[in-house]
Amino acid sequence: MAGEKEIAVGNMLNRPIKGLIDEYPQVGRILDEYGIGCVACSVGTCLLKDIVGIHNLAPEAEQKMMTLLAQVIHPDRDIRIPLRERKNAPAAPTYSPPIRKLVEEHNWIKRWAALIPAVLERADVATDEGRALLLAGVDFIRSYADKYHHAKEEDILFKYFDSDLDVVRVMLADHAAARAHVRAVVEGVERRDAATVREHLLAYADLLKEHIEKEDEILYPWMDRQLSDRQVGELYARFAALDEEFGETPRRQERFVQDLAAR
Amino acid sequence: MAENKARKRKMSGTGWTLGDEKGRKDMSACGCPGSQTIDRRMDGKEAETPTGKVASQLRQWPIQLHLIGPNAPYYQGADVLLTADCVAYAVGGYHPEYLKGKSIAIACPKLDEGQDVYEEKIRAWFDEAKINTLTVMIMEVPCCGGLSAIAQRALASARRKVPVKEIIVGLDGDIRQEEWLKA
Repeated sequence: MAGEKEIAVGNMLNRPIKGLIDEYPQVGRILDEYGIGCVACSVGTCLLKDIVGIHNLAPEAEQKMMTLLAQVIHPDRDIRIPLRERKNAPAAPTYSPPIRKLVEEHNWIKRWAALIPAVLERADVATDEGRALLLAGVDFIRSYADKYHHAKEEDILFKYFDSDLDVVRVMLADHAAARAHVRAVVEGVERRDAATVREHLLAYADLLKEHIEKEDEILYPWMDRQLSDRQVGELYARFAALDEEFGETPRRQERFVQDLAAR
Repeated sequence: MAENKARKRKMSGTGWTLGDEKGRKDMSACGCPGSQTIDRRMDGKEAETPTGKVASQLRQWPIQLHLIGPNAPYYQGADVLLTADCVAYAVGGYHPEYLKGKSIAIACPKLDEGQDVYEEKIRAWFDEAKINTLTVMIMEVPCCGGLSAIAQRALASARRKVPVKEIIVGLDGDIRQEEWLKA
């Protein structure tokens, strides 16, 4: 029969993170120290146990973090968290081939996001040339980042997982927020409204940088650990079929970013 | 039979008498970890043994890479496990944890002859049998890396690419490394 301390730890692990942080702000600070950015999350319904599992910290680091959390939540009890048994020791992410393909696409999107401040400096929304450059950037976002890359995630990869998973819902919410920023940029260009274009394009860049970091470092490694070999092979074949369908268009979009960086 | 001849071991002429003092001494001069004498009988660890019969996950015959036909029905669209000969003896959970659900071939990159045929058969898995994935499971000794190298050469020459995973097994039977290679 589980003892009082085990029950306390069990209760702690099964609580949604937002409630824990609201009640014990120190929990957010401890998570932050271990690179777990739940404080900024807009949803916050993930259970602490799922967050710990997904981040796959080194065993000793995880044990120390959990002990610190237990001391904050249960200061009256001397709780020592044991090392969690796990199948594979954590290591730097090594992606399966289909997931690696998505990470390579992220690199192009990150390169574009890094160029956005320079593009805003150069592109005058009052001129035809400036508007053309801004709309070319929007075309990259819509054709490459959204239609080509996000479609692979939303229509293929995420379908292998429960759509009610909080981590998936957060990523989909990011995609929706990015699309809203892009719509606002286009409206700003049409109205020759430089302030709106600047505000939403910079917000898009910030959002995408954070979103890609979450996917590359947390979501994708976790998904790779869940996927069976059969699913990895299927994903690879489905991505390859989609690449064939898109033909040379993605390569053309990548060259747009490459040329822009070289200017 | 030609295939059996190709399977002929290259043990003769090595000069090793494994397990005796001369063997150990000579081994250190050679430095080949694949032939090093390791005796774990007295290390004080008793491995857990499962109770009851452990079901075989083997679903095909033959299994040796010289004997298999790469276009056999059990390879069509399959997840294939290419295993170095020693692996199944080293890994206690080989059948339930690694072989289950997969088609198999076995080979020894150190002792088998005619390995150019191996590369061609593996390429046929990719291009003709259209396998879904290939997992190459080898021991940590350097000579075993030859099997991964053959698989990667076959993949490089294949028209159709599929994900290839490499699993490296320690001499104690533990998994040292498991990672997907570049497709």
